[in-house]
Amino acid sequence: MKSKELIRLNNEKREKLTEENRKYYEKILIYIRVSLAKRELETEEILSELLDHLLDAQYKGKSAKEVFGDNPKEYADEIVRELPKINLKDTMSLLSSGLLVFIASALLFSGIGDLFIYFVVDLNVLTKEIFIGSLLLESILSIILATTLLYLIINFIKWSIFKNLKSITEFFILWISGMISVGLFMLIFWSIPNFGPTIKIHSYVMILFGVIIFIGLLINRIINKRKKDKIIE
Amino acid sequence: MTQNTQLLKGILEGCILEVISINPIYGYELSVKLQEYDLNVSEGSIYPVLLRLQKKKLIKGEVKKSPNGPNRKYYYLTEEGIKSLEDFKENWNKIRNQVDNLLNWEELE
Repeated sequence: MKSKELIRLNNEKREKLTEENRKYYEKILIYIRVSLAKRELETEEILSELLDHLLDAQYKGKSAKEVFGDNPKEYADEIVRELPKINLKDTMSLLSSGLLVFIASALLFSGIGDLFIYFVVDLNVLTKEIFIGSLLLESILSIILATTLLYLIINFIKWSIFKNLKSITEFFILWISGMISVGLFMLIFWSIPNFGPTIKIHSYVMILFGVIIFIGLLINRIINKRKKDKIIE
Repeated sequence: MTQNTQLLKGILEGCILEVISINPIYGYELSVKLQEYDLNVSEGSIYPVLLRLQKKKLIKGEVKKSPNGPNRKYYYLTEEGIKSLEDFKENWNKIRNQVDNLLNWEELE
Protein backbone atom coordinates (compact mmCIF):
# COMPACT_ATOMS: atom_id res chain seq x y z
CA MET A 1 0.00 0.00 0.00
CA LYS A 2 1.23 3.49 -0.78
CA SER A 3 1.88 6.17 1.82
CA LYS A 4 -0.91 8.41 0.51
CA GLU A 5 -3.45 5.62 0.91
CA LEU A 6 -2.18 4.94 4.43
CA ILE A 7 -2.46 8.63 5.34
CA ARG A 8 -6.04 8.73 4.05
CA LEU A 9 -7.00 5.61 6.01
CA ASN A 10 -5.30 7.01 9.09
CA ASN A 11 -7.40 10.19 8.86
CA GLU A 12 -10.55 8.11 8.64
CA LYS A 13 -9.69 5.72 11.43
CA ARG A 14 -8.63 8.45 13.86
CA GLU A 15 -12.25 9.56 13.99
CA LYS A 16 -13.10 6.38 15.86
CA LEU A 17 -10.83 7.25 18.79
CA THR A 18 -12.17 8.78 21.97
CA GLU A 19 -11.29 12.42 22.57
CA GLU A 20 -8.59 11.57 25.11
CA ASN A 21 -7.01 8.82 23.03
CA ARG A 22 -7.13 10.91 19.87
CA LYS A 23 -5.27 13.78 21.55
CA TYR A 24 -2.57 11.43 22.81
CA TYR A 25 -2.22 9.63 19.48
CA GLU A 26 -2.12 12.81 17.39
CA LYS A 27 0.76 14.17 19.43
CA ILE A 28 2.78 11.06 18.66
CA LEU A 29 1.68 11.22 15.02
CA ILE A 30 2.78 14.83 14.46
CA TYR A 31 6.04 14.31 16.32
CA ILE A 32 6.94 11.26 14.23
CA ARG A 33 5.84 12.82 10.92
CA VAL A 34 7.89 16.01 11.33
CA SER A 35 11.01 14.04 12.23
CA LEU A 36 13.29 14.61 9.25
CA ALA A 37 14.90 12.14 6.90
CA LYS A 38 12.79 9.11 7.78
CA ARG A 39 11.42 6.91 5.01
CA GLU A 40 7.81 7.88 4.38
CA LEU A 41 6.31 4.46 3.71
CA GLU A 42 7.81 2.91 6.84
CA THR A 43 6.73 5.93 8.88
CA GLU A 44 3.12 5.68 7.71
CA GLU A 45 3.11 1.92 8.20
CA ILE A 46 4.16 2.12 11.84
CA LEU A 47 1.71 4.99 12.45
CA SER A 48 -1.14 2.89 11.11
CA GLU A 49 -0.01 -0.11 13.17
CA LEU A 50 0.00 2.02 16.33
CA LEU A 51 -3.45 3.36 15.46
CA ASP A 52 -4.89 -0.12 14.79
CA HIS A 53 -3.44 -1.30 18.07
CA LEU A 54 -4.89 1.63 19.96
CA LEU A 55 -8.32 1.02 18.41
CA ASP A 56 -8.20 -2.64 19.46
CA ALA A 57 -7.11 -1.63 22.96
CA GLN A 58 -9.77 1.06 23.18
CA TYR A 59 -12.36 -1.54 22.29
CA LYS A 60 -11.14 -3.54 25.28
CA GLY A 61 -11.51 -0.46 27.49
CA LYS A 62 -7.86 0.57 27.62
CA SER A 63 -6.52 4.10 27.26
CA ALA A 64 -3.64 5.33 25.10
CA LYS A 65 -1.68 6.01 28.28
CA GLU A 66 -1.97 2.38 29.32
CA VAL A 67 -0.86 1.21 25.88
CA PHE A 68 2.01 3.59 25.11
CA GLY A 69 3.03 4.72 28.60
CA ASP A 70 2.92 7.96 30.57
CA ASN A 71 5.54 9.72 28.49
CA PRO A 72 4.41 10.11 24.85
CA LYS A 73 7.52 12.08 23.86
CA GLU A 74 9.86 9.37 25.08
CA TYR A 75 7.80 6.77 23.27
CA ALA A 76 7.76 8.74 20.01
CA ASP A 77 11.53 9.29 20.30
CA GLU A 78 12.02 5.55 20.62
CA ILE A 79 9.99 4.93 17.46
CA VAL A 80 11.84 7.66 15.53
CA ARG A 81 15.20 6.21 16.61
CA GLU A 82 14.31 2.85 15.09
CA LEU A 83 12.76 4.08 11.84
CA PRO A 84 14.91 3.57 8.73
CA LYS A 85 16.51 6.71 7.36
CA ILE A 86 16.05 7.79 3.75
CA ASN A 87 19.02 6.88 1.58
CA LEU A 88 21.54 9.28 0.06
CA LYS A 89 20.02 9.10 -3.43
CA ASP A 90 16.58 10.15 -2.21
CA THR A 91 18.10 12.88 -0.05
CA MET A 92 20.01 14.29 -3.01
CA SER A 93 17.00 14.20 -5.33
CA LEU A 94 14.88 15.86 -2.63
CA LEU A 95 17.48 18.59 -2.13
CA SER A 96 18.09 19.20 -5.82
CA SER A 97 14.40 19.43 -6.68
CA GLY A 98 14.00 21.83 -3.74
CA LEU A 99 16.83 23.93 -5.13
CA LEU A 100 15.34 23.91 -8.63
CA VAL A 101 11.92 24.98 -7.32
CA PHE A 102 13.69 27.81 -5.51
CA ILE A 103 15.50 28.95 -8.69
CA ALA A 104 12.40 28.63 -10.87
CA SER A 105 10.24 30.60 -8.43
CA ALA A 106 12.91 33.31 -8.18
CA LEU A 107 13.01 33.61 -11.98
CA LEU A 108 9.22 33.69 -12.31
CA PHE A 109 8.63 36.19 -9.52
CA SER A 110 11.40 38.45 -10.70
CA GLY A 111 10.27 38.27 -14.35
CA ILE A 112 6.58 38.79 -13.63
CA GLY A 113 7.38 41.55 -11.15
CA ASP A 114 9.40 43.41 -13.75
CA LEU A 115 6.63 43.00 -16.33
CA PHE A 116 4.11 44.33 -13.84
CA ILE A 117 6.23 47.36 -13.03
CA TYR A 118 6.87 47.97 -16.71
CA PHE A 119 3.30 47.76 -17.91
CA VAL A 120 1.35 48.99 -14.91
CA VAL A 121 3.59 51.49 -13.17
CA ASP A 122 5.50 52.29 -16.33
CA LEU A 123 8.77 52.70 -14.48
CA ASN A 124 11.18 49.99 -15.50
CA VAL A 125 12.95 48.62 -18.49
CA LEU A 126 12.38 45.03 -19.52
CA THR A 127 16.05 44.15 -19.74
CA LYS A 128 17.58 43.56 -16.38
CA GLU A 129 21.25 43.86 -15.56
CA ILE A 130 22.30 41.09 -13.20
CA PHE A 131 25.51 41.11 -11.17
CA ILE A 132 26.60 37.48 -11.08
CA GLY A 133 28.70 37.88 -7.92
CA SER A 134 25.87 39.44 -5.91
CA LEU A 135 23.36 36.95 -7.26
CA LEU A 136 25.49 33.96 -6.22
CA LEU A 137 26.15 35.33 -2.75
CA GLU A 138 22.49 36.22 -2.26
CA SER A 139 21.38 32.76 -3.36
CA ILE A 140 23.81 30.93 -1.11
CA LEU A 141 22.93 33.05 1.91
CA SER A 142 19.19 32.68 1.37
CA ILE A 143 19.47 28.92 0.96
CA ILE A 144 21.44 28.70 4.21
CA LEU A 145 18.91 30.94 5.94
CA ALA A 146 15.93 28.99 4.59
CA THR A 147 17.43 25.66 5.70
CA THR A 148 18.19 27.01 9.16
CA LEU A 149 14.68 28.41 9.52
CA LEU A 150 13.12 25.12 8.43
CA TYR A 151 15.25 23.26 10.95
CA LEU A 152 14.29 25.69 13.73
CA ILE A 153 10.58 25.52 12.87
CA ILE A 154 10.58 21.72 12.91
CA ASN A 155 12.33 21.68 16.26
CA PHE A 156 9.93 24.26 17.63
CA ILE A 157 7.00 22.09 16.56
CA LYS A 158 8.57 18.98 18.08
CA TRP A 159 9.24 20.88 21.30
CA SER A 160 5.83 22.50 21.54
CA ILE A 161 3.71 19.38 20.86
CA PHE A 162 4.17 18.02 24.36
CA LYS A 163 4.26 21.40 26.13
CA ASN A 164 0.54 22.26 26.00
CA LEU A 165 1.29 25.89 25.18
CA LYS A 166 -1.65 28.24 24.97
CA SER A 167 -2.49 28.81 21.32
CA ILE A 168 -2.02 32.56 21.84
CA THR A 169 1.53 32.02 23.08
CA GLU A 170 2.25 29.68 20.20
CA PHE A 171 0.81 32.13 17.67
CA PHE A 172 2.84 34.96 19.17
CA ILE A 173 6.11 33.00 19.01
CA LEU A 174 5.45 32.01 15.39
CA TRP A 175 4.46 35.56 14.45
CA ILE A 176 7.60 37.09 15.93
CA SER A 177 9.83 34.49 14.27
CA GLY A 178 7.99 35.04 10.97
CA MET A 179 8.72 38.78 11.14
CA ILE A 180 12.35 38.17 12.02
CA SER A 181 12.72 35.72 9.10
CA VAL A 182 11.27 38.17 6.57
CA GLY A 183 13.56 40.85 7.99
CA LEU A 184 16.61 38.62 7.63
CA PHE A 185 15.80 37.84 3.99
CA MET A 186 15.37 41.54 3.24
CA LEU A 187 18.63 42.30 5.00
CA ILE A 188 20.43 39.82 2.74
CA PHE A 189 19.07 41.39 -0.43
CA TRP A 190 19.57 44.99 0.63
CA SER A 191 22.95 44.75 2.28
CA ILE A 192 24.82 42.96 -0.49
CA PRO A 193 26.44 45.44 -2.89
CA ASN A 194 26.58 44.93 -6.65
CA PHE A 195 29.73 43.16 -7.70
CA GLY A 196 31.05 40.70 -10.24
CA PRO A 197 30.53 40.50 -13.99
CA THR A 198 27.11 41.47 -15.31
CA ILE A 199 24.77 39.88 -17.79
CA LYS A 200 21.71 41.42 -19.37
CA ILE A 201 18.60 39.34 -19.36
CA HIS A 202 15.13 40.10 -20.68
CA SER A 203 12.13 39.58 -18.38
CA TYR A 204 10.44 37.29 -20.92
CA VAL A 205 13.56 35.11 -20.98
CA MET A 206 13.50 34.82 -17.18
CA ILE A 207 9.86 33.79 -17.20
CA LEU A 208 10.53 31.33 -20.00
CA PHE A 209 13.37 29.68 -18.05
CA GLY A 210 11.25 29.55 -14.91
CA VAL A 211 8.43 27.85 -16.77
CA ILE A 212 10.81 25.39 -18.46
CA ILE A 213 12.29 24.33 -15.10
CA PHE A 214 8.82 23.83 -13.60
CA ILE A 215 7.68 21.75 -16.59
CA GLY A 216 10.87 19.69 -16.37
CA LEU A 217 10.28 19.01 -12.67
CA LEU A 218 6.68 18.03 -13.36
CA ILE A 219 7.65 15.57 -16.10
CA ASN A 220 10.37 14.12 -13.87
CA ARG A 221 7.83 13.64 -11.11
CA ILE A 222 5.33 11.88 -13.36
CA ILE A 223 8.03 9.53 -14.69
CA ASN A 224 9.26 8.72 -11.17
CA LYS A 225 5.74 8.04 -9.99
CA ARG A 226 5.13 5.60 -12.85
CA LYS A 227 8.37 3.80 -12.00
CA LYS A 228 7.44 3.54 -8.32
CA ASP A 229 3.94 2.26 -9.12
CA LYS A 230 5.44 -0.42 -11.33
CA ILE A 231 7.77 -1.58 -8.53
CA ILE A 232 4.90 -1.79 -6.07
CA GLU A 233 2.72 -3.74 -8.49
CA MET B 1 14.41 0.24 35.98
CA THR B 2 17.11 1.70 33.72
CA GLN B 3 19.67 -0.89 34.69
CA ASN B 4 17.20 -3.56 33.70
CA THR B 5 16.24 -2.05 30.34
CA GLN B 6 19.36 -3.06 28.39
CA LEU B 7 19.04 -6.65 29.59
CA LEU B 8 15.30 -6.70 29.04
CA LYS B 9 15.65 -5.32 25.51
CA GLY B 10 17.61 -8.33 24.34
CA ILE B 11 15.32 -10.75 26.13
CA LEU B 12 12.23 -9.09 24.69
CA GLU B 13 13.72 -9.37 21.19
CA GLY B 14 14.26 -13.09 21.73
CA CYS B 15 10.75 -13.63 23.08
CA ILE B 16 9.20 -11.78 20.16
CA LEU B 17 11.21 -13.85 17.68
CA GLU B 18 10.00 -17.01 19.40
CA VAL B 19 6.33 -15.96 19.29
CA ILE B 20 6.62 -14.97 15.63
CA SER B 21 8.32 -18.27 14.80
CA ILE B 22 5.22 -20.19 15.93
CA ASN B 23 2.87 -18.29 13.67
CA PRO B 24 2.97 -15.12 11.56
CA ILE B 25 1.33 -12.55 13.77
CA TYR B 26 0.38 -8.86 13.87
CA GLY B 27 1.19 -6.31 16.56
CA TYR B 28 -1.90 -6.48 18.73
CA GLU B 29 -2.02 -10.29 18.69
CA LEU B 30 1.65 -10.37 19.59
CA SER B 31 1.14 -8.15 22.63
CA VAL B 32 -1.75 -10.35 23.78
CA LYS B 33 0.41 -13.48 23.41
CA LEU B 34 3.23 -11.93 25.42
CA GLN B 35 0.82 -10.99 28.18
CA GLU B 36 -0.54 -14.53 28.26
CA TYR B 37 2.93 -15.55 29.38
CA ASP B 38 2.84 -12.85 32.08
CA LEU B 39 5.64 -11.00 30.38
CA ASN B 40 5.29 -7.65 32.05
CA VAL B 41 5.96 -5.22 29.22
CA SER B 42 3.80 -2.29 28.22
CA GLU B 43 1.94 -3.08 24.99
CA GLY B 44 3.42 -0.22 23.02
CA SER B 45 6.99 -1.23 23.71
CA ILE B 46 6.82 -4.06 21.18
CA TYR B 47 6.75 -1.62 18.24
CA PRO B 48 10.24 -0.12 18.60
CA VAL B 49 11.47 -3.72 18.95
CA LEU B 50 9.59 -4.79 15.81
CA LEU B 51 11.15 -1.89 13.89
CA ARG B 52 14.60 -2.83 15.18
CA LEU B 53 14.15 -6.47 14.21
CA GLN B 54 13.05 -5.40 10.72
CA LYS B 55 16.11 -3.18 10.39
CA LYS B 56 18.31 -6.14 11.35
CA LYS B 57 16.38 -8.14 8.71
CA LEU B 58 15.43 -10.79 11.28
CA ILE B 59 11.73 -10.38 10.56
CA LYS B 60 9.68 -9.18 7.61
CA GLY B 61 6.31 -7.48 7.64
CA GLU B 62 3.63 -8.03 5.08
CA VAL B 63 0.35 -6.15 4.95
CA LYS B 64 -2.53 -8.55 4.43
CA LYS B 65 -6.07 -7.72 3.57
CA SER B 66 -8.58 -9.11 5.97
CA PRO B 67 -12.27 -9.56 5.18
CA ASN B 68 -13.42 -8.06 8.49
CA GLY B 69 -11.53 -5.34 10.26
CA PRO B 70 -8.57 -3.36 9.00
CA ASN B 71 -5.59 -4.61 7.01
CA ARG B 72 -2.93 -5.97 9.32
CA LYS B 73 0.81 -6.12 9.02
CA TYR B 74 1.82 -9.71 9.70
CA TYR B 75 5.39 -10.49 10.74
CA TYR B 76 7.39 -13.48 9.55
CA LEU B 77 10.84 -14.72 10.54
CA THR B 78 13.48 -14.49 7.84
CA GLU B 79 16.25 -17.08 7.41
CA GLU B 80 18.49 -14.84 9.49
CA GLY B 81 15.73 -14.52 12.06
CA ILE B 82 15.51 -18.30 12.46
CA LYS B 83 19.26 -18.45 13.02
CA SER B 84 19.19 -15.55 15.45
CA LEU B 85 16.43 -17.24 17.44
CA GLU B 86 18.49 -20.43 17.72
CA ASP B 87 21.44 -18.37 18.96
CA PHE B 88 19.23 -16.64 21.47
CA LYS B 89 17.92 -19.92 22.86
CA GLU B 90 21.44 -21.30 23.18
CA ASN B 91 22.76 -18.15 24.86
CA TRP B 92 19.77 -17.94 27.13
CA ASN B 93 20.19 -21.49 28.39
CA LYS B 94 23.87 -20.87 29.04
CA ILE B 95 23.34 -17.58 30.84
CA ARG B 96 20.42 -18.92 32.83
CA ASN B 97 22.48 -21.84 34.11
CA GLN B 98 25.44 -19.63 34.90
CA VAL B 99 23.36 -17.08 36.74
CA ASP B 100 21.42 -19.77 38.60
CA ASN B 101 24.67 -21.33 39.71
CA LEU B 102 26.01 -18.02 40.85
CA LEU B 103 22.89 -17.03 42.75
CA ASN B 104 22.58 -20.43 44.43
CA TRP B 105 26.21 -20.74 45.50
CA GLU B 106 25.14 -21.20 49.13
CA GLU B 107 23.28 -24.39 48.34
CA LEU B 108 26.17 -25.77 46.37
CA GLU B 109 28.73 -25.33 49.07
